[in-house]
This record gives sequence, structure tokens and C-alpha cells, in this order.
Amino acid sequence: MTADERPVSEQSANHPPPGTISRESSRRTFLAIAAAGLALALVPIWIGGSRTLMGVAITGLLFASYAIAFNLIFGSTNQLFLAVGALAGVGAYTSAIISDRLGVPFPLTMVLASGLSMFIGGAFSWIAVRRSLGIIFTGIITLTFSLAFDNLLLGQRGLTGGETGIVVDAGSDTFLRNQIPPYYVFLILVLIYLIGYVLLHRSHIGWAFRALRDDEIAAELTGINVARYRIYAGAIGGGMLGFAGALWAHVEGFISPATFTFVHVDVPALVMLVFGGIGTVLGPVVGAAVFTYLGEVLASYSQLRLIADGILLIVLFLAFPQGVIRALGLRLNQLRASRKAAP
Amino acid sequence: MTAVILDGIVLGLQFGLLGVGLTVVYGIGGVLNLAYGQLAVVAAIVMSITMRSGLATGPAVLAGISAAVAIALLLNFTILKPVYKRDDEDRVLLSLLLTIGVAFIIDGFLVWRYPIEALSLNIDWDPVSILGVRMRAGSLLASAITLLAGGALIFFFRTTTTGKAARSVIQDEVGARLCGVNPAAVRTLIFALSGVLAGLFATTQAMTSPVPISAGFDFTITALLVTVVGGLGSIRGAFLAGLILGVVNAMSSFYIGSYVTTIILLAAAALTIVVRPSGLFGAKA
Amino acid sequence: MLEVSNLSAGYDAKAVVLDVSVNVREGEAVAIIGSNGAGKTTLLRAICGLLPVSSGNVQYAGTSITNLAVHEIARSGIAFVPAQRHLFPEMTVAENLALGAFPHRPDPDQHALVLDLFPRLAERRHQAAGTMSGGEQQMLAVGRALMANPQLLILDEPTTGLAPRLAAQAYESLAALRGQGMTILVAEQQVPLVLGIADRGYVLENGEIQLEGLASDLRGNPTVQRAYLGVV
Repeated sequence: MTADERPVSEQSANHPPPGTISRESSRRTFLAIAAAGLALALVPIWIGGSRTLMGVAITGLLFASYAIAFNLIFGSTNQLFLAVGALAGVGAYTSAIISDRLGVPFPLTMVLASGLSMFIGGAFSWIAVRRSLGIIFTGIITLTFSLAFDNLLLGQRGLTGGETGIVVDAGSDTFLRNQIPPYYVFLILVLIYLIGYVLLHRSHIGWAFRALRDDEIAAELTGINVARYRIYAGAIGGGMLGFAGALWAHVEGFISPATFTFVHVDVPALVMLVFGGIGTVLGPVVGAAVFTYLGEVLASYSQLRLIADGILLIVLFLAFPQGVIRALGLRLNQLRASRKAAP
Repeated sequence: MTAVILDGIVLGLQFGLLGVGLTVVYGIGGVLNLAYGQLAVVAAIVMSITMRSGLATGPAVLAGISAAVAIALLLNFTILKPVYKRDDEDRVLLSLLLTIGVAFIIDGFLVWRYPIEALSLNIDWDPVSILGVRMRAGSLLASAITLLAGGALIFFFRTTTTGKAARSVIQDEVGARLCGVNPAAVRTLIFALSGVLAGLFATTQAMTSPVPISAGFDFTITALLVTVVGGLGSIRGAFLAGLILGVVNAMSSFYIGSYVTTIILLAAAALTIVVRPSGLFGAKA
Repeated sequence: MLEVSNLSAGYDAKAVVLDVSVNVREGEAVAIIGSNGAGKTTLLRAICGLLPVSSGNVQYAGTSITNLAVHEIARSGIAFVPAQRHLFPEMTVAENLALGAFPHRPDPDQHALVLDLFPRLAERRHQAAGTMSGGEQQMLAVGRALMANPQLLILDEPTTGLAPRLAAQAYESLAALRGQGMTILVAEQQVPLVLGIADRGYVLENGEIQLEGLASDLRGNPTVQRAYLGVV
């Protein structure tokens, strides 16, 4: 609106984007990941006797993997995907249906399913970058996809079981249905995602992400194909979400639309990520751990969960607007300013 | 076929009204209010509760609309204050994230206190025959109210000084300020207007089908789609897009099944974005 | 009428204009000249409230208007025509002019005066502002500013984007306005044009006033001649 009141130069202050990982600090980063992994590995000693609590802990790791993928898409490349749950749901339902109906081994269907999520995630990015849509349009399109996916699940009863969901047979005769092993499987997944995240940011893709977040226009001028890297992030993140969702389907043995709604996945994942720190490596895991723990402690107030999530979202974004907005590294003002200045 | 299209038009007019409420707030405040559908739901629930406690329909509708206006103004004066200090996309993004929070608070409160509340306004007049199709009186009254509201909106934005000032803020905020227009005052007015539109939408919806407490996000997403297809900030575009989406919605749910309508609407929106990124009518009013 | 004393303003922490004092008396046309980036736009924007004043004071008609909101300054009788014009592109010429009078209804006399000054606007009254040529948009921007019947007209680079012939025309209409007694403050790079209509002028370079004086003296000043008038 009033972009041209500000000069073009002053807005990109000298803050390094939080997603950046320098080579010197990467050893420390890996040590931190190892420490977090070790701490999380000890959790079953504490609560391993309770099937319920182990279930909660596994859900916590599921959300940690959602948040890491969301961090890659939103934190690293400014794409507001409001379809975290839906993309995970695509993975879960695809893998469950193909393995149970066609008898394909489920490890294979999990890969297939995450491929589909990867394709959809990449397609969102493609639509968005093709027309250089702002973050808002990406948000609207993905949010609509969330709702559309939900309706599709409810409508295609024959395939999805509608509102009641479906029992997932594939995986039922494996260790994935035991009390403790699936926790470690998910922990390994989280660690792989974290290491992948760090390696990706250390590679040339990471340099492109950094440039893109720091100043999109400048990045484009220096020859970085912003569109391509956005699509990479959308696709990789989508694939990560799909795989996590698929794994969960085979571990839990039952999926229903409620498991993947915007309300139950996207908003908690957003809260966790913002709390932990957008663009930080371990932030998503810290956020997931804190809110999973809080959710369990406050389980008897679960009817207030929605209200609490809403308040948290507002408080987090109001209390750390600088952090959040800086982390987004939006430089669109400059684009508008230069456009308006042109007669 | 005619019946389906007529139903689609009835629905589409209401979509348009809903879309306008979202799009003017975006155009003037730079705010994407994702709690907008919840405003309509709150209006509906207030109407339902007050009617059950004995209030006549007219006053109850007024009470419902007032509640939506009150919440819209409350948002404008509280959590959106820090939003207005930001510019452009930063502003939209922060508003979007904060109003998702508001939507959750409202939804959570309704689920907690009024889990089974829903509003239905039964218009028990005789059906009227139009183009050989018997139309329910509720549908016709809803359309009449929507058309009247649409006409009033166009009159307001085209001819009144205040309406022109509002459009001037959409088109060039700096220019408007230099003309002596106070954008904050215009914004307050427009937020109140969006509350009125949300309340009216709740009223007309309830004349054709019940409005449950869970409808908030559906309404918001419908409004967003209308806005995207019509062009962010465009009032004409919102009405046209509403009509198109209404007819598409009625036809797809009649011929295929209601569950695919969102998918078809999404596809329509995605197609619009790919073909015409700024929507049918660009980004201006 | 307008008294700017020791004003500093800029973006974030960096001052673009430093300790600048300018005054404009009633009925006078005053020029602020300087090269691109000298701080002319920053100075005018700070006066009009579009940029915060970090120190110093702006007095208008005896009261301080320092850091008032833009619309309050606009309503107090100061009309600002920015270089980017900030017209309402999708509104007609007539609607743009009508908004110039906001919050009042357009005054017919003032309207007639504007159309008299810019007959072209009368021909284009039903055309959308965004579809007009640069010269016509410039006329509309000045016309819209005049609709409020301002006591002081401030213009930033009114010749921006105009061909030489149109730039000269723009200054002819400013000269006509001045002839009608309008007080004018104008920032301009095209020094020969602006010194042609101004009574007095200030030379602004690197955010500070380097020189001030009567327009005739400035025209004769060797430094001004060398820097802005192309005299070797």
C-alpha cells in the first residue's frame, strides 16, 4: 500500500536468514541433532510401559516430521502450504489403499504414495511460481486443497470408508504394531529428515534458498532460478509429508479423515514451527515435543484445545512478529515500489 | 436443468455477497480475514439462540448482524492494530495467520458451548413458479435480499462520497491520504460493512439450508475462491465469480455428488489463476 | 505561511535531509532545486506527513503541523502533488477531481477554475485516469490537488516523465496559477524551467541547503549556472 514511502535499500537489514547453516557450524548442528536424538531415544524408558503414552509419543514424532517438512517449504522458500495434513493424508490413504486392495508390499506402496504427495506438492509450487503468485495465493490454493481432499475422503466411501475411516491391514503382522519399536522407526525418520534438511541447506540448493529468502529479486538477477528451487522445496517437502503420513497409516492400522484435517494437522504444525523457530534446524522438533507434552498434560481440557491453539497462534505471531516476519524474508515491498515508481 | 441453474444462481448471489465482504476488507485494509466465515456463523448462532429465547425473527436477525459487526470491529481495533504497521505482503500474511487464530478461538468456543446449535429460517410462504420451476419462497426471499444488498453496495461505492473515498483507498492509499481521506476511518467502516455482509449471508443461507456451527471454514474458503476467481479487491468480480461458482456448484453437486464440488471449485480457481492471475477483474474495484 | 525550521528526516535511522530550514510567504512561488538524490522528495514528503520528521519543526499558518497525519495536513489547506502522482487509475477524471475536494462536495467554482486551467480534463472527464497520457495525468494530479481550494500547493518534480514540450506547458499552467495568487512550493531538477516562475529558490545538495536567494540572483550565480544551467 505505502511501499513507495520507503527506500528500496533500507529494508533488507543485515540479518542472516535463520535457515542458513555455515560449514563451520554444521558440526555443531550435527552434534545437536545427535543429542536430540539421544534424548528422544530415552523417552520409552520413561513411559514405555504405557501403550497410550507411547501412542502419544509416536504422534509427537509424527508431528515433528510434519513440522520439519513444513519448515522446508515455508521456512526455507516462503511458500505457505496450508495443506500439510492433506499431503500427509494423500500419502496415508494411497499407501493403505494400494497395499490392502492390490496386495502390493507396503514398503513399496509407501514410496509410491510419497511420490504422489511429492508430485502434488511440486504441482502447487509450479502453479504458484508459474504465475509468480504471492504467498497469499499459495495459501489460498493449498487451503482449498485441504478442504477438497477432506470432501473427497468423505465422498468416496467405497474406497476410503468415508467418515468412519478404514482399517489398514498391511503392516499388521510386523513389528510396526508392537508397543515400542514403531517409536524408534519414527525417531529414525525424524533424524533422517533433520540430517536431510541440514545437508540440503549445506548444498548449492541451500545457497539458492538463502539467496531467495534474503532478496528474491536479487537472487533472480544473479541468475538463480527461483522458480526451480521453489518447486524443489514443494516437491521434497510434499514427499516428506506423504511418507510420514503413509508410515503412520501402517503403524496405527487405522486412518480416518479427522486425522488429516487442516484443523488437526496444519494449525498445530504451524504453532509448533513458529514456537520452535521458523527456519531453525531443531525448532520443529522442540515445538513438537513441547506441544505434545502440553497436550497430554492438559488432556482433560481437550475441549478447549481449539481455543488454546488459536490463542497460541495469535500470541506467538504478535509477540515475535519481528522474528517471524524477518524469517520469512519477504522482500516484495521492493518489487511493488519499483513498479510504482515506473511512470 | 433449469431448476439446477436457478438454484445455482440463488446460491451464487449469496456467494457473491460473501465474497464482497472479504474482498473489500482485503482491498482497503490489506487484510485477509480468515475468520470471516466464523463471523457469519456467529451471526447465525446469535440469531438461533435469541429466537429460541423468544425474540421475533426481525430483531433476532438484527442481533445476529450486530454480533458479527461487533466482532469485526473488535478485530480491527485489537489484534489487527499491529498488522496495520506493516506493508504489503507482510501485512496480508500476518493478518492471515492471526485471523486463523481468531477462527480457531471462535470455532473452539462454539464447539465447547453450543455443540449442536444451528440456524434455520423457515419461510413458509407458498412456492412461486419461475420459468416453469417451482421455487421455494425461502430461495426467492434470500435472492431478493442479496440483490437488494448488492444494489445498495453498488450505490454506496459508486455514488456516495464515502463510498468513493473507500474505493480511492483501494486504488491508491497514498493518493487517498493526500486527498484528505483517513484510511483508518475508512477501514473501520469497511470492517463494519463486512460484518453486516457476513450477517446477511448467514440470514439468507439459513433460508435455504441450515447453518451449523462447523460451517465457518467452508464459508471462508468459498469466499476466498470467489475472491480469487473474481480478482482480489474487485466488487464486480466478486459478484460475477459468485454467480459462476454458484452455478458450477449446483450443477456438479446435482450431476456428480456434493463431495466433488469443492474439488471442481478448486480446479476452477486454479485454472483462473493460471490463465488470469489477477482474476476476472484485476486487483481494483 | 509555511515555515520549516531545522528539519531532519529520512528512512529508518539514516537522515536524508539534515537541519533544513525553508520558508514560504503568502503569494510566493518558491523553488527547491538540486540534483537527483539531493533530498528534495524526502523534504517535501516530511512536510506533508508522508515521512516522519525526526527533528525540527514545520509551522503552517501559525500552527505546528509537524508529524500530523497526512490527511490532517491535506485538510488544513496544503495540497501535495507527488512525482508519482498517485491518481486513482480505475476512476474517471471526474471522480478523481471530486475526491480532491474530500471530505466536502466539490465546489462548482473551483471545478470551473480547474477545467479552465486544463481544458483537456473537461474533454476526458469520463475516461479512466489510468488510461490517459503522462501529460494528461500530470494535469489531473494538479487539478485534483486544486479541487480542495488549497492555500499552499506543493509539487514534487511536476515534469517527471514528461517530454520537454509538455514540461514547459506544465510550468505555464503553474505560472498562470501563480498569477492568480496561489502560493507554490516546488521541487525541481529542471532548473531553468522552475527559476522561470519562482520568486525565490533554495539549492539543496546532499540533504543540506547550500544556497538560497531570489530566483534572479540564483540565475546569475556562477555555481548554479555551472551545476544546473549548463553554462560553462
